[in-house]
This record gives sequence, structure tokens and C-alpha cells, in this order.
Amino acid sequence: MINVIRKNLVLWLTILVLVIFFVMAARGMDTEDWVITLLRGLSVGAVTFLVASGFSLIFGLLDVLNLAHGTMFMIGAYVAWTVYVRPDTFVDLLAPGLLLVSGFMLSGLWDRLREGIRIDGFLRKALPWMGLMLAAVIVVLVFRRFPITIWDVGNYAQSPVTYSFMADQGLLVLPEGEPFEEISPAVAAIGLMAGSLIAGFSLSLFKKSTQANLKVGWRSYLGFFMVALVGLAALFLNDGLTAFLTGINSNWLFFLAVLSAVSFGILLGGVMESTLIRPLYVRPIYQLMLTIGLSAIGIEVVRAIWGRPEFVMPKPAMFSGTGEGCPATTLADLVQYHCSTIELLDGRIRVYNEIFIPVVGLVVLITVWMLLQRSKLGMIIRAGVQDGEMVEALGINVRRVFTLVFALGVGLAALGGALAAPSMGLSNVMGESLLLNALIALAIGGLTSYPGAALGSILVGLLQQFIIKYGAIGIPIPFTEIIFKPTPPLVPASTVLLMVIILLLMPNGLLGRKE
Amino acid sequence: MTEKTSPTVNSFVSQNRGLILSLLALVVLPFIVGLFEGASLGAVWQNESGTSKFVQGLAIEIFILAIYALSYDLIFGITGLLSFGHSMFFAAGAYLSGILLKSFDLSLGMTLVWVLVIAVVNAFLFGIVLPRVKGITFALVTLGLGSVFHIVIMSREVGDYTGADVGLQAVPVPEFINPATHRLTFYFVAIVLLLVVYFIYKRFVDSPTGRVCVAIRENEDRAKMLGFNTFYFKIVALVLSSVTAALAGTLHTLYQPIVSPNTAGLGFTVTALLIILIGGVGTLNGALVGAAVYRLLDFGLRRYLGESASFINGAIYILIVLYLPFGIVGTWRMQSAKITEGRKRLLKLLKLEK
Amino acid sequence: MDTLLDVQEIHTFIGQYHILEGVSLGVPQGSITALLGRNGAGKTTTLKSILGLTAPRQGKVVFDGRDLSGMRSFDIAALGIGYVPEHRAIFRDLSVEENLKIAEREKGDYTRKSDMIFDLFPDLKRLITLSGANLSGGQQQMLAIARALVADNKLLLIDEPSEGLAPVLIEQMMKVISRLSVESTVVLVEQNFLVASQLAEYFVIIEEGKSVKSGMMKDLVNDHETIHRYLGAA
Repeated sequence: MINVIRKNLVLWLTILVLVIFFVMAARGMDTEDWVITLLRGLSVGAVTFLVASGFSLIFGLLDVLNLAHGTMFMIGAYVAWTVYVRPDTFVDLLAPGLLLVSGFMLSGLWDRLREGIRIDGFLRKALPWMGLMLAAVIVVLVFRRFPITIWDVGNYAQSPVTYSFMADQGLLVLPEGEPFEEISPAVAAIGLMAGSLIAGFSLSLFKKSTQANLKVGWRSYLGFFMVALVGLAALFLNDGLTAFLTGINSNWLFFLAVLSAVSFGILLGGVMESTLIRPLYVRPIYQLMLTIGLSAIGIEVVRAIWGRPEFVMPKPAMFSGTGEGCPATTLADLVQYHCSTIELLDGRIRVYNEIFIPVVGLVVLITVWMLLQRSKLGMIIRAGVQDGEMVEALGINVRRVFTLVFALGVGLAALGGALAAPSMGLSNVMGESLLLNALIALAIGGLTSYPGAALGSILVGLLQQFIIKYGAIGIPIPFTEIIFKPTPPLVPASTVLLMVIILLLMPNGLLGRKE
Repeated sequence: MTEKTSPTVNSFVSQNRGLILSLLALVVLPFIVGLFEGASLGAVWQNESGTSKFVQGLAIEIFILAIYALSYDLIFGITGLLSFGHSMFFAAGAYLSGILLKSFDLSLGMTLVWVLVIAVVNAFLFGIVLPRVKGITFALVTLGLGSVFHIVIMSREVGDYTGADVGLQAVPVPEFINPATHRLTFYFVAIVLLLVVYFIYKRFVDSPTGRVCVAIRENEDRAKMLGFNTFYFKIVALVLSSVTAALAGTLHTLYQPIVSPNTAGLGFTVTALLIILIGGVGTLNGALVGAAVYRLLDFGLRRYLGESASFINGAIYILIVLYLPFGIVGTWRMQSAKITEGRKRLLKLLKLEK
Repeated sequence: MDTLLDVQEIHTFIGQYHILEGVSLGVPQGSITALLGRNGAGKTTTLKSILGLTAPRQGKVVFDGRDLSGMRSFDIAALGIGYVPEHRAIFRDLSVEENLKIAEREKGDYTRKSDMIFDLFPDLKRLITLSGANLSGGQQQMLAIARALVADNKLLLIDEPSEGLAPVLIEQMMKVISRLSVESTVVLVEQNFLVASQLAEYFVIIEEGKSVKSGMMKDLVNDHETIHRYLGAA
């Protein structure tokens, strides 16, 4: 024990100082104030952690500083909002989306077909491009005639802001679904699927022949049929599905929204890694630029689809009760009346923001930790963080693990965005500020350390919330009459300062490995 | 024509043919543009408003960006330090000169002296952490320092001086280079400054000190093993870079009617990084080419596409990153077999394996 | 005797640097072949090129009758090549057991081989739960070799096994390697000529990225001129 302390003296001293600092900060407040500040800090910390953990996994294993991670967080929020407030649009998009994905599920089959191709020279080089173009033409032609009921960012009455407000008031009326007009649903479905199959095969053609013996597992076919089937179901049972989704309990809808956001994030991450990041592993700085470019594009896309004004996603019924028995004073009341707030240690605490989000953060922390420590995949990730080349030399396909981890990381960011949508609201800039938070948290905790990401995120969240609170109540400076009120700019500045101090003390962060 | 000087002049001309030609083109550019519009040379000389004046303005912005990008190329491209707080060097120069001119009524000369002093201080501020942190951690620390500076500028407490989030406005500019009335003079001053900076940098890179900086980028441990105190060389590069960036900032203040706090943000550092990536990292003239391409592209896209320009911009950068990995100048150089040959010889000389 | 590994005139680049400028070597089945040469001659790169970690741009590598050009390195490794990198590159964050388990190519490899491995390295059994970072240099080297034995490998590429080890440990290491060569073929990079000459039957000398001389080790031992010229040692 003594040895452990002596070995990491600076770390323990730093943590001691931080603890004393926060205890002092808490003692300077009333009970209700510090309880709520602490919980808010944990809440911000949890959201930061969801972004930071994925970022740290990606940086650790792939050495990619994914500066588009904040944008992924934002996209997660917007996707969740769409499913939650506009299930009709979600269902309308589900069919073409799944049909488009289906063709790529058969990549194993495409690879085997490619090995059988015996063409050389120019035609072999031109073939994939021609295929891609053909696929693009088909998809564009069909998709333009695909009816999708959506909002209108140019028209205030039909903008996301209005829909969000109406949903919050319980007055939401979804617009009439648009029917197929210029094209029959069957033709549309066949067109999209054909486009997807052609595109999948063409992409496989870009790869060189590997000579490895390729087996096509039954899972690949099963995946294809499942995706295609659900897509077709969504297409032909569109109205029924929409009616079902608008009818169900908002808790379930919220769950579905979060799930969709995470799935979309995973998909997006997988596509991003395998198409854009992968060619650049030999040029790290360019990856950085690529992610910055992607981030800019992502923000523009979000602006174009959902518009610039900010809006808030309504909370699900479980966390929005305000009537009889609320605010809850006991846990039983909370469960019975689904109160939005609870009285705890004199303070009134918002259940969703200050309890639900930290709990989810904790669950994710433990789940991913178990995954890292107990599974074979986790073993490979931990080994790969240190020496990816050696893992490859053991005969393990590290590239596939890379894609998986990138997808997982983006999925975590999307989860963070979906959870933050009801508490922080949706805006075009929500990703940037969170990315900066996450970066600072990681620098504090140690860039590639998973527990470090958690510790850093909590520190950042707590520090920010305490400073905000003291901005309201003021700090009496000892031995003087002056009461100092931290101004809003000091909130980010304080975390940055903490980061610089800690990095100067411990260049690898609190829990980072010494090289 | 003495026999002694002509070979050196000749070799200088042949080595910098592109540069000299573009310089000539830039000198006559305002007049040519004026002629095309039908304005007389005299009118251009008198700074009458028209396309020529507008083109001069655009070119001045490019020159300022080029000086700024050069300064970033020195520490990132040449010395290999990835800094995310570089915009602080620029913004410190811009804000300081603006505040001194506006709130303290200092002369331009005195202002420049102060800017120089603060630029050196800034460089040491960044440099002080160098022995402790490296690589990506250095990037994060500099990002932190830069962000604090950005936040301070934006805060309301110093708003009387900096203009907070609106930006610094109404800086009194000495009449002889007032960009409104004497834009042509400003244009030539900017060209001359750019040239001076460029040649100093070229000299620096070819000097023994500069070569050690390159060695640090390639392999710091090796440079250390050869007995160089790498810290000292990094500090020298940082000071030179900071001074140059502050100079660019001062020019920016003199030229622009308003200095936006965005010049202190991370985005502006990324701009510098983008410019040298477009042009070619570590090539110096890449910074010049990159600045022109960057500004013109941005201008053109905004003019014809309006809102969606940054979307296209982002897409173009991604394409450049994917398909033009060595930048415009870098790719150009790669083409010439001569360089490859030279590299091979150098490699044999140094017996580098890794 | 069959040739298990045949490297034909490979040229390898790292970035723009031309590191290997024509390396050829033939490794007979069941032998130990030592790659000799000065620091920076390209021995490590040769091993990495065989595995495809730094894929050769020209020339080809034939392993077990199969041309490896264009194959990805994990596919190459899966054909049955074990790699023990220099500097004892074990996974520090993984326990000893995990370090071995991660090398499983088929489920159950580790259980199947554990007796054999712990017989060779009795120390490792005692340290099984320790994390790699807490092992001593010698123990790490043992683990690195043990890791290459978990899967069924026909060929072992071992890079500088004696580097930085105490003389007692070097002897132990040599015993292990000579026992290994009974079942697999070994290609060994070794700076310590004494060690290499006692272990290997064949040698290949690499100089400035080219293979310049090869033959039987027993001939080389008496060829003082060659030793002096290429290895700089007596």
C-alpha cells in the first residue's frame, strides 16, 4: 500500500489537493446548493464522459484524434429528436435507409465473387467506378421519387422548433403522410436494393485480390435478409408502423430514439473509418485535417436539414410528471408518479438531468470496462493500444477491430447526444463545446486511459458547475470584504487552467501511462 | 556587369524564377485589372474605388494570411511542433497594436516595438512547457493557452479595450498607409513585408540553426544524441514564428476595419494548418501558394454558393487530404526526379534506417 | 531438405527510404538460420518484410510453397509464422495469461499448449496473473517467445533474443531456442556472434540492405576475414 502511494506520489497529492478543493468549495455553500451542484457536475461529467470515452478508445487504438467526435455527438442528438418527435419521418426514412444498407451486408459474398473475376487491365480498373456511378444514378433517380414526410426549416409553423414545442405541450399533430405518386413502391424498393447491391459489389472491386481463402458465413446472408425484410416491411406497412409508433408510450419511443441514434452512430462510424480514415493511417496529421473537414460538413448538413434555431427535445413521460404527488419526496413517490423533480437534502433535483444521466453514464462506464477487461475483443483492444503491429503479427485482423472500435466510439458519442437532447437542448454548436470539454477531460485524465477519461470528465463537470454556482452566489475573498463572482468566461477558462497545471505536473495526465 | 557577381545573380534568378515572375505579376496586377475595367493608370494610382482597388484588397488579405501561414510552417512544418494555439501569436499582435494605437495613442513605431516585445514573451510562454510535454500533449497545452487568451479577449471585463465579442473597432490608422485612401501603398508595403519574411525564413531554414530544426522534426532523439540542445533550437523557431505572426496580426489590424475575436480561436489556427497543407507542409513557398488558394477558394465559393460554401469547402479539403497528400508545392517537387535523387544521396550519407 | 521459406531479392521502402535493396535467403525446413550484420543493416526490416508488416515493393517471399505477395500480414501470420520482436514487445497491460491467450489462432490453443509452454518456461506459470509491465527483462523475453509458441507455427522469426540479458539468462534462452528447432524452423537475428554461432546451422549476412553472403555457420566460424569485414568483431 505504502509502495503504491510512493510510486505515484504526484498523482495522490494532486488528487488530495483536488478533493480538498472541492470539499472547501462545497463547504462554502448551503446544503441544497452543493448537493445540486455536485449532481449537476456529475451530469455534465457523464455526458462529457460518453464523448470522451469513445474519443479515448479511438485515439488509443487507432491513433486518430477524431475532431469530428463532437459533431457525431450532435448528430446523435438530432437523430434521436427525429425518431422521438417525428416518428412518421423516421418510418419514411427507415425503408430506404435499410434497403440501401442491405447490399453492403453481403460483403463476404462480394469478396468471393471478386476473387473469381478474371479480367485485367483498364477494364478491371474502370469496373468499380462504373459500378459505383451506375448505383449512384439508380439510387438518386429512385430516391427523388420516394415520398418522405418531413418538416420545413424555412416555414416557422412547420419547423422543428414548432414541432418540438407542440410535442412538449402534448399538442403534436403529425402531417398527413405523402403517398407514392410517380413510382410504385415495388419499383422503388427494387431500385434501391439493386443500387445497394451494385454499390456493395463495386466497392469490393476496389480491393486487390487477397488470395486468402474466403468463406461466406451464414450470418452474412442472415444479416442481409433481416435488413432487407425489415426495410421492405417498413415500406409496405408504413402507415401502420407510424400509427403504432405514435400510439406507444413515450418511454418506449424514447428508448427507440436512443437506440436509433446509437445504431446510426455505429453505422456512421463504421462507414467513416472504412472509407475515409483508413487510407490515411500512414499520414496522421491528414487524419486530423480530415476529421476537421468532416466536422464542418456535418454541421452544415445538420443546418440544412434541421435548421439553425435551437430547440429542446421533450422528456419522456417517465421523467416529466408534475401533477399530484410531485415533487416527489420519497423514492416510492418517484416511481409511482413519475415526477420530473425530487426533493433531496433540501434541494429540488431534476430526475432526468441529475439522476438518470449520471446513472446511464455509470452503466456505460462499467459495461465498457467489463468489455475491455473480460472479452477477447477487449484484450485485443488493450494490446492494440500499446502495439498494433504486434497484434497483427499474431494473425489478428486489426483493421477489422479498428473499424469496430471507431464505430463503437462514434456510437457512444451518439448515445451521449441522444441523452443530452432533452437536458441540454439541440443546437448547431452543441458538439464543439462538448468536444473541447472532452479534450480537456482526456488531457487531464490521460489521453489513452479509459478510467482516466471517466475521472477527467467528472473533474471537468464538477469544476464547471461549481464555478457557475459561485458565479451566482459569489466567493468571499478571505481577509477582505470583497465578494468575487466568477464571470461566465471563467467557466471554460478554469477547466483549461486545470488542464495546463495538471499537464505540467504530470505530462501524461492523471492516469496516463508514463512512456 | 562584373564577372564576379553575375553568376550568383544568375543562379539566384534561375532558382527563384517562379517567385520573381509572380512578383512581377503582382506588381503590375493592380494596373492591369484597372486597365481591363477601363480605368486609367492614374485613377488606379489615386486609389479610386473600382475592381482594381477591390482586387488589391483581396491580395492584401492573401499576403497577410501568407505571412501568418509562413510562421506556422516554421514551427510545424520545419521544426515539427504541433501547436493548436498559434492563432494566439497572431491575435496578440493584432489586438496589442490596435489597443496601443487606439487607447494609448502610441505612434506606429512604438507600437511595433511593443508588439515585438510581447511576441517574444508569448514565444517563451509556449516554450517554457517544451521540456515537459511533447507531441499531442504539447498541442493540447498550447490549445489551452490559446483558449485562455481567446476567453480573456472575449470577456466583458476588458471589453473597453478589446471590444469583447464584437471585436476591436475604429483603430486609427496612420494616414500614409490607410487602406481606404492609400490602398496601393498598403498593397506594396504588404508585398515587401511578405518578401522580407519569406527570404529571412529561407535563409533561416538553410542556416545551421534551421537545419538542426529540421533534424529535430525528423528525429529529436538523434538530434539530441548529436549533442544539440534541442530546447534552444525550438525556442529560436518559436520566437521567430511568434514575431512573424504578430507582425501579420499588426498588418491585419491596420487593414481590417474590425478585428474579430475569432482570430484568437482554434479555428484560425486550423486555417493556418489548412493553408500549409494545401500548399505543402515544410516547403515555405507552399504557405504562399496555399494562402492564395485558400482565400480565393473561400471567396469564390462564398460568392457563388452563399450559405453552403463551408460544406463545399470542407469537401474540397477532404479531397485534398485524400488525393494531394503533399500539398500543391510538395507534389510539384515530388515530380522532379532531381529531389528524389538528392534525398537518396543524403540518406546514404546519413545511413538512416528508420 | 525442403526449403520452408524462400526470400527472393526483396526491396522494401519505409516512407521514401529505400531500406532493403535486394535481400535473398533460403531457409531449410527444421533448421536455425541466423541473420547477421551491423546495426541498421536491415535485419529487422527483413523479418518484418517476410511478415508483410513492411511489405516489400519488389521481389517475393515464398513460404511453404505459397507466394506471399499482396497478402495482408495477419493472413501471412495465420499461415503459421510466429514472431518474437526485438525489445521484448510483450503487451504490458495484459496479464501473462492474457499475453498467451491473445495469441490463440484457434480456440483451445492455449489449453492444448500450456503444458508444453510451462515445461519450457517454468517461471511463467508462477507469474501467470502478473501484468506484463511487472515482469523483469528476462521474464518478458521468455513470455515473448512463449507467446509465439501458443499457435501452431511452422516458422519462428526471433529478433535479438539475447539483447540486454544477463549471461545466465542468455544460456537458458539458447537452450530453449535449440529445443524449439526440433519442431519448427527458426530465423534468428542476433548481434551476439557467439550466441548466433552456437545456435545456428546456417547464416546470411546483410550489409546496407543487401544480403551479401550466406552459407553454413561452421564455415563462417573459421572465416575470420569475412567476420571481420562484415561483423566488425573477431
